Amino acid sequence: MQAIFSLLQPCLLACGLAAAPAPFVGDEPVPAPTDLFVRAAKLHVRPGRVIDNGMLWIHDGRILAVGTDIKVPKDAKVIEGKVVCPGFIDSWSSFALEPNALRDDRVGPSTLAVDAVDSFVDARHEQALLNSGVTAFRVQPAIGARATGVGAMLRTHPTRPFGETTVLADACVATSIGLSRDGRAIDVFDRVTSVDRVVGALADGLAYHIDQNEYRHELAEWEKKIADKQKELEEGFKKAKKDREKAQTEAKDKGNEFKDKEYKEDKKPKAPRYDADKEILGRVAAGELPLVVEVHRALEIRALLEGTERFERLRLVLAGASEAAQCAEALKERRVPVIVWPQPLPADRPSEYRGANLALAAELAHEGVEVLIGSGANDALATRDLPLLAALAVGHGLSPEEALAALTTRPARVFDCGDQLGTLELGRQADVLVLDGEPFSATTKVRLVISGGEVVVGEVSK
Amino acid sequence: MLSMILVAGGLLAAGTSSDHIQGGSATFTLRAEHLRLYGNQVIENGIVKVENGKVTYAGDAKGAGELGHDVIEHKGWASPGLVAARTRSGLSGDTLEPKRPMTAQARAADVLSLEHADFRRARSEGITTMVVTLSPANVASGLSAVVKTDGATMVEREAHLQLGLSADALRNNRYPTSYGAALELIEGELSKPTGVWERAATGKLPVMLDAVSRDEIQRALALAGEYKLKGVLTRAPLAGELAADVRKSGLGVIVGPFGFGTEQRLLDSVTALGRERVPLAFGLESPDWPEASLRISAALCVRAGLDATMAWEGLTTTAAALAGVGARVGKLAPGYDADIVLWNGDPLELSSRAVTVFIGGVRHDGGAH
Repeated sequence: MQAIFSLLQPCLLACGLAAAPAPFVGDEPVPAPTDLFVRAAKLHVRPGRVIDNGMLWIHDGRILAVGTDIKVPKDAKVIEGKVVCPGFIDSWSSFALEPNALRDDRVGPSTLAVDAVDSFVDARHEQALLNSGVTAFRVQPAIGARATGVGAMLRTHPTRPFGETTVLADACVATSIGLSRDGRAIDVFDRVTSVDRVVGALADGLAYHIDQNEYRHELAEWEKKIADKQKELEEGFKKAKKDREKAQTEAKDKGNEFKDKEYKEDKKPKAPRYDADKEILGRVAAGELPLVVEVHRALEIRALLEGTERFERLRLVLAGASEAAQCAEALKERRVPVIVWPQPLPADRPSEYRGANLALAAELAHEGVEVLIGSGANDALATRDLPLLAALAVGHGLSPEEALAALTTRPARVFDCGDQLGTLELGRQADVLVLDGEPFSATTKVRLVISGGEVVVGEVSK
Repeated sequence: MLSMILVAGGLLAAGTSSDHIQGGSATFTLRAEHLRLYGNQVIENGIVKVENGKVTYAGDAKGAGELGHDVIEHKGWASPGLVAARTRSGLSGDTLEPKRPMTAQARAADVLSLEHADFRRARSEGITTMVVTLSPANVASGLSAVVKTDGATMVEREAHLQLGLSADALRNNRYPTSYGAALELIEGELSKPTGVWERAATGKLPVMLDAVSRDEIQRALALAGEYKLKGVLTRAPLAGELAADVRKSGLGVIVGPFGFGTEQRLLDSVTALGRERVPLAFGLESPDWPEASLRISAALCVRAGLDATMAWEGLTTTAAALAGVGARVGKLAPGYDADIVLWNGDPLELSSRAVTVFIGGVRHDGGAH
């Protein structure tokens, strides 16, 4: 047997290493040893690609080789595990956000989640997340508010200051439609208006985006014209000076008054008035970052899909989506991923959750809709329990492979962090879990976590 | 014979189960790929023989003897039915008496409906026995009841005497308003006991002591010690921080329910109780909490470090023992009620689900929904 994906070409290696982050300096955790070698009975390179008796070579925090017959490098630290897989990502979390920021409904679309991060978050909680294998999570401020701002993808880290754990500060813009407030259901007309509001805001954003683009284009043209004229004047300066002196002399001889030629410059284009909310929504409408909408009722999901159809580049993501199974076909067609919150609810529940069903993830996956799993953001520490939430989805029909994708590759791709998170493929920064059992089992213990190339849980020995 | 075939046939069609009682014979033999008897004892290709609603044999195939012709085959796990050690399922109306602090003779059994939809939902989660309690917000709330979730069976009409030692039992519009006065009331009854108090004072009727804060827990332990009360502490979220004292008291603890996102300190408290081998069972508080919370609580505690066997016993044997019905439910053993749940995987895992439930040997469908 051969190492099937060995990446040993020096040039590629150099490229990979050049992009490696500066190693963390502190008491704990420690940077991964230069060479770390992982052996696993079952190695999930990514969901759907499992290597039995697999091996993984991590060099300077990056994955250098994946296969079945790799020679252990000299001086490498060796780790054994039953199951090895990429770190879990919570697609929908409120971990590490300042509690007041979570409930503040005065935020706007441009409010940044990274500004609401609580610097004093309990390190034990962060360690609890890592002990569950959750290495990254997406947060947004003002859960339940109409506009919930710009969501960020953060890395779980027990000691590093939060400013340094941002994987992506603008991972999405988030909003919600039709959620109960203070235990009271929102009026049906308000809910319909909410859909119009989202669509209207996107349209305004897109118009602003177009205006901005036009302005930038016009400004560039104007600047070019000015530059051309300047060049022309500079090049013909001596001749122009001579011509001017000659004209001055002639005018004097004739007793006329001399007048300089006037150059009329084009009017500088006027910049559209800056609007941060429209700016970010424009980027959303143009598909630069996804729009996550928490919406539950089928009626509103349909209205949202119809209303946003004209935004061809929009990357819509639904969250919660209790009744999404009724719209599965349209979601598949529009390629809208859904972040499912597999939370059992009591019989007496807010009206938007009336159709909530633990089988939602399985039903959507069965219909070909991309499923992500999130902890729902109501409890910050629920992010710790992400593997058990996935287990519940599996218990209600989702295949374990789909569930693993819902916690790894998919959130990484949907939120544009695929280069850093989600798989154990070659050249990637190592984000690896070493487990002593199946990923979603209650009895499984996480033996080792490597996050961003650093060992953050467990010890390594030669 | 015909009914037995129907039972077997129904099992094959378990995936398309309906939600009503199927009935059928209370006499049958079950062979399951994995059979959880009690504790961590799992038998491969285990056999359970049931006659007239009671287990007559549970164990490996060798000791089972003749199986007969009509054997229910289950390609999955079988276990005893789960026991919810504390819940408010099936109750009608408000069970809190706001003006009188002492209603020791009030019975949950008298104000619950065995046919309530709460029990059907519990059954679909593999819960076959529940301890139904009155509101804990009174000094002596009354008597809890133990019921089956089959819509018909009352197991114990007077299971525990519920005593409230938390601040919830104090109210500013009636006596007592203070801890001291509440204890005076309880001790007044226990020092010259009559009726249910006498049964509690002589250890014949377990008590359910509701306490929340550390000082309330300590007060409850002192009371139990002084009057040699037997029973359980309920709520008591940080009892594990006093685990050694709790163990000395001989009381069990009913923990939870816990949901996703439960404070780490509370889960660590349960782990500490487990380390001290304090008898543990899981509470539910349905219908406010979804019935799935029972197994979720256990799974969260196991993830936090509680021994998996203790967690499983807390869902079955220990829960039954703390409810005073440990000789009848919570195990698959000869003489026990044939409360059996068939699962599609290990019942301790949240990725498994109850697919069929037998209560007293009678099959109920709807586990899968």
